[in-house]
Amino acid sequence: MDHFTRLKRQIQSYAFILGAIEVTLLVSAAWAAGFFFNINQTVIDLVVLVFGVGAAWLYATLVTNYATEPIEFLWRAILHVSPNHVGVVAPNLNDSHVGRELVTSLSLQVYQLASTSGAMQQASPNHSLLVAESMANNLPLPLFAMDKNQNITFVNEAGLHYISRTASDTVGKPFYDVLDLSFQDNQTFDAWLQDCRANKVTDSRSWERVRMKLSDQKTLRQFDMAAYYNKENSAGVETAIAFFDQSSRYSADDNALSFIALAVHELRTPLTMLRGYIEVFEDELGSQLDPDHARFMHQMNASAQQLTAFVNNILNVARIEENQLTLQLTEEDWGTVLSNAVADLTLRAQVHGLTIECSVDGNVPAVGVDKVSIYEVINNLIDNAIKYSDNGKKIVIHSYVTKDGMVETTVQDFGIGIPSSVMPHLFEKFERNHRTRSQIGGTGLGLYLSKAIINAHGGNIWVKSKEEEGSVFGFTIQPYAKLADEQKNSNNKDIVRGAHGWIKNHSLYRR
Amino acid sequence: MNPDNPIPQTPQTPRNRRVLCIEDEHFIGELYARALTKAGYDINVIVDGVKGLEEAKTNQYDIILLDLMIPNMTGIDLLKKLRTDVPNLKAKIIITTNLEQKEETRKGIESQADGYIIKAEITPHQLVQILDGIA
Repeated sequence: MDHFTRLKRQIQSYAFILGAIEVTLLVSAAWAAGFFFNINQTVIDLVVLVFGVGAAWLYATLVTNYATEPIEFLWRAILHVSPNHVGVVAPNLNDSHVGRELVTSLSLQVYQLASTSGAMQQASPNHSLLVAESMANNLPLPLFAMDKNQNITFVNEAGLHYISRTASDTVGKPFYDVLDLSFQDNQTFDAWLQDCRANKVTDSRSWERVRMKLSDQKTLRQFDMAAYYNKENSAGVETAIAFFDQSSRYSADDNALSFIALAVHELRTPLTMLRGYIEVFEDELGSQLDPDHARFMHQMNASAQQLTAFVNNILNVARIEENQLTLQLTEEDWGTVLSNAVADLTLRAQVHGLTIECSVDGNVPAVGVDKVSIYEVINNLIDNAIKYSDNGKKIVIHSYVTKDGMVETTVQDFGIGIPSSVMPHLFEKFERNHRTRSQIGGTGLGLYLSKAIINAHGGNIWVKSKEEEGSVFGFTIQPYAKLADEQKNSNNKDIVRGAHGWIKNHSLYRR
Repeated sequence: MNPDNPIPQTPQTPRNRRVLCIEDEHFIGELYARALTKAGYDINVIVDGVKGLEEAKTNQYDIILLDLMIPNMTGIDLLKKLRTDVPNLKAKIIITTNLEQKEETRKGIESQADGYIIKAEITPHQLVQILDGIA
């Protein structure tokens, strides 16, 4: 939902609530007045009138204030830069949570005035246009405009300051060279712009959690972004973009994650040793142990494995955030990979009284996978199935070839299922089923990681679920032959892919 | 060792080869030594970087397992020295580490070595399997 729709809905709900309060007040006031004071109809009418006017005034004030907030921002900005109104404080546009597209498109109008002023000033110097230009420059909101060739035609002073560049280094340069943007998913700015050019005359959109690396390659800016598109703009401006800085808000999550990753990294060495010694004991003492001790040893091993998986999950998510996770896809027999991974988890399933049934159709071809990463995906899905199985008795895993020639694998449990409200965000970072959060442990990173890994393999991950009946998670991977075809022109035997948490704002003009 | 008179190479099965393990974490060295010895390898564990280089210069090994964090010399420096100061080095060098590397750094190290193992990702058994697979 964009900010404007949200604004409209909020106004609607306020209006409804206030209308209801008004009616209630009127009725109860009239009734109370008549009943208690036994006074005549004229007085009751008077009381109703007073209450009615009061409630309506309240209602109107609230609604108007809310609806005009973006305009008030602009008005204050204009007064701020106007020479006749010294002393008006510049509005902090980051505080505006509604109508960002509106602010941006209005700012564009301001800019248009300013941009035409350059040419017109020479013919006839015009005071109001000068004011407009200085206003755009004094808006405390980073503002960019670009033409049909995606060259930056205007950037205000706040914009230059925000990206730490000079005007000569920015204006006239291609947008993509100046701004290195990354988005959370495929709905990038560039994708939107392509769509606008194909299908729209004017449009506006906003994005949350956009990232930008400055040219020093170190400083990271995080912001919400709004853009306004106009195909037929007379000033030659096709798109205007505004940034709403949110660095401090969004980096809190990131800092938490990198701190956890740092701490977790220190667990690796002791964990390596622990697993090594358990292996020695199982190997050399396994046959001499009584059944209870053997079971304890099993559980110890299963727990150490689980802890290793947890550590790997966190480290890999941290790598994905830095776009540092690369996968080497090699030709593997899927049945072997899958049954090895399943064998490792059988132990954990047994501990919870569950059996795992695993079958691979005979016609499944060799696949192109990164063994370590795909193991983590299988591990995460089975681990979830175990955790959310409740009273289920088994977990069913099945691999087969889909109609379009992909290898699909499903992991089905018969547990508590997933509420439909959680489903849309299931593969997002830190997302967990709120209802079960207190009873079932987890980091909320497993599915996010699995999705990134599967996407890097060129596949998809999906879920179907019904509450109280269980869930099916499925993912597709490519047959090796298909991958090798795509890789024909390269000499590399291994196929290398990056798993990304952030999607670069690709430019068609660069390739 | 005299380069003109190298030690004659007798045909070997994978499992009686000599392994030099340069590893500062005593317990990991112990675990690897135990698993590899049981599998039939002849393994020598050295904790110190400088001593490790001396050992690689004086005795012929088939495989060197090299940790990146070792006393007296970094593993990366040792790797470079092995490549430059020991001209007739026969050993395959396998990096064993738990260090988190930037992609480019890791690629640089990998290009100098014959293998790269994250210790946390393998058990001693799996190490044996990996070494068995190295020609």
